[in-house]
Amino acid sequence: MKHYKFGEARGRYIGPAGDIQVYSEGLVRGESGFRKERHDHEHDGQLWFDYGPSTGGMLESVGISFLTPGELISETLVDPSFKKRTLVVKGKSVEDALLTVERINGFHAASHSIAYCSAVEDALGINTDAGTRSSRIVMLEMERVRSHLEVIKRLCEPAGFGVPHSQIGYIRERMSRLISSVSGHRYFFSANSIGSAAIDSKNLLGETEAIGAEFARVYDGLLQSKIFLNRLQNNGRNEDGQHLIGPAARACNRRIDARLDSPSMDYSGAEFEVPVAEEGDSFARFAVRSGEIMQSLSIIRNIAEGPEEEGREHDTGGSGEGAARVESPQGDLFYYVNVRDGILEDIRMLSPSMVNISSFEASMKGNIFTDFHFNWESYGIWISEAGVEFA
Amino acid sequence: MSSFWFFEGLRKGRKTEKFPRAPPESPPLRPSRMKGEGFHECPTDAIAEGEWVQEKCIFCRRCEEQFKPTGEQDIFDVKRTEKILMRSIHLYRLDSGSCGACNTEFSAIFDPQYDAHRLRIFETNTPRHADAIVIMGIATDGMKEALDRAYEAMPEPKLVIALGACAVSGGVLGDAPLDRDMYDVEIAGCPPSPYTILEAIDRARGDSHD
Ligand code: SF4
Ligand code: SF4
Repeated sequence: MKHYKFGEARGRYIGPAGDIQVYSEGLVRGESGFRKERHDHEHDGQLWFDYGPSTGGMLESVGISFLTPGELISETLVDPSFKKRTLVVKGKSVEDALLTVERINGFHAASHSIAYCSAVEDALGINTDAGTRSSRIVMLEMERVRSHLEVIKRLCEPAGFGVPHSQIGYIRERMSRLISSVSGHRYFFSANSIGSAAIDSKNLLGETEAIGAEFARVYDGLLQSKIFLNRLQNNGRNEDGQHLIGPAARACNRRIDARLDSPSMDYSGAEFEVPVAEEGDSFARFAVRSGEIMQSLSIIRNIAEGPEEEGREHDTGGSGEGAARVESPQGDLFYYVNVRDGILEDIRMLSPSMVNISSFEASMKGNIFTDFHFNWESYGIWISEAGVEFA
Repeated sequence: MSSFWFFEGLRKGRKTEKFPRAPPESPPLRPSRMKGEGFHECPTDAIAEGEWVQEKCIFCRRCEEQFKPTGEQDIFDVKRTEKILMRSIHLYRLDSGSCGACNTEFSAIFDPQYDAHRLRIFETNTPRHADAIVIMGIATDGMKEALDRAYEAMPEPKLVIALGACAVSGGVLGDAPLDRDMYDVEIAGCPPSPYTILEAIDRARGDSHD
């Protein structure tokens, strides 16, 4: 492993990847933390009520339990295990396993495939060319734009904001079509392989310009809407964001981002800012994501006309341990792999959705149920990557 | 403020395509119908005896020297129609164990480019008001009961729609959540494009688009 060593708890703590504790500059073996249990509260007049696992109000299946004496919510538990998938990857070739890895969270397939491919490349000592590296940054930033648009669209829905909801839906679909023309698939599936990635940047500059202008107009409109702001401000406030990663942490004024401190991707030529906010509430998360959309569009424009991928063939039959970390739309995404003769022997993954769930739960305390959807959507948690295990 | 959004809506004008009454304006290549011959190492056995099997394909590109994507979006199979649903159809989505992409492509049919509402296609939050259940993802232990309950709660007549390779055939990840005999409509793709989803649902109520 070029960038990580076992036994070193150095840098910022990111979270657990199974039995590996991930720090920005090192890895430590050992289980961590605990999951909260639901306990009996009938004696103090409080009741648990369950929402889900399948309800049309949510994009994915998830079980949510609220403890409440009537109106205010005193405790919240999220159970991502209802749709837990056991994905068979061990014993497969590193290329075949990639077909599964990019379907862990299909909406963030670029992040998962790039983090996984980078970990395998680290294990096998494969050096990627400059074209592959810049293509991957373009993919990650396009994915970030679409993901944040999706979150903001879903924030408009419970507010009953039909026009901005449709307008952001329109922009999001425009982005999906651009992703399709750039990468050959609307979700980047099979756009990455071990050692290489290529994009077609033909429509990239004009379309990103137009998408940015359209989004800026909707964003300005939302900022002037008192009803929208009222639903988000002070909703789901996190005090210090200590246990958060990604945009939710940056909304608590923590300037942490794998693009700044991960050696796996080189963003040095990308020239971007990392927006932060102070309030730590749903509004702050909305504002940070909106700022990131504009930053990501500018990164894409800065590097879109970079070098072309060289189409080199790589030998994937080697052995070794590798690790990599990228900034996915929801925060640090980490992979560890152990490869023997091109076969995946072991794998661990840390997803930002899993890391951020407990802070979401804590932020519901004192809220009422009608606040729930806004708060939940503002975190951007994906159950598909939280409820998954490898076999 | 409400007048702001009203005028914003007007300013944008009409963005909805005429599809499925006219060809799609921006069909993706993947997924779309594949045509060709040869190739034997498909990871999902989607090429059997030289024929492409749409519901198993995950569009991984490995066969593209021999099989080419055509852009044709009609990769679905409607086995039973309910004409009574021509007036309106309410869909209940059930995520049995998806990666999330089938979910967002399904949501996209309500975006302005497709605007499923103009075809009187709606989403409902409860199976009790649903004419069709749209199942996405592979079989998982934890969602089995929710799936059975939702199916039982739906009034007759009801359609069962499998959306995406996982739901129809298990795709590359696992097993399909229901026996294929249970499906009235099977929509191929990983994930299926919004065009394919929209046309499949429209045809499930017997619309021939003539
Ligand atoms: S594109 Fe489809 S048919 Fe071709 S190899 Fe991949 S899964 Fe098989
Ligand atoms: S069919 Fe493909 S896109 Fe749909 S849930 Fe399965 S893996 Fe995801």
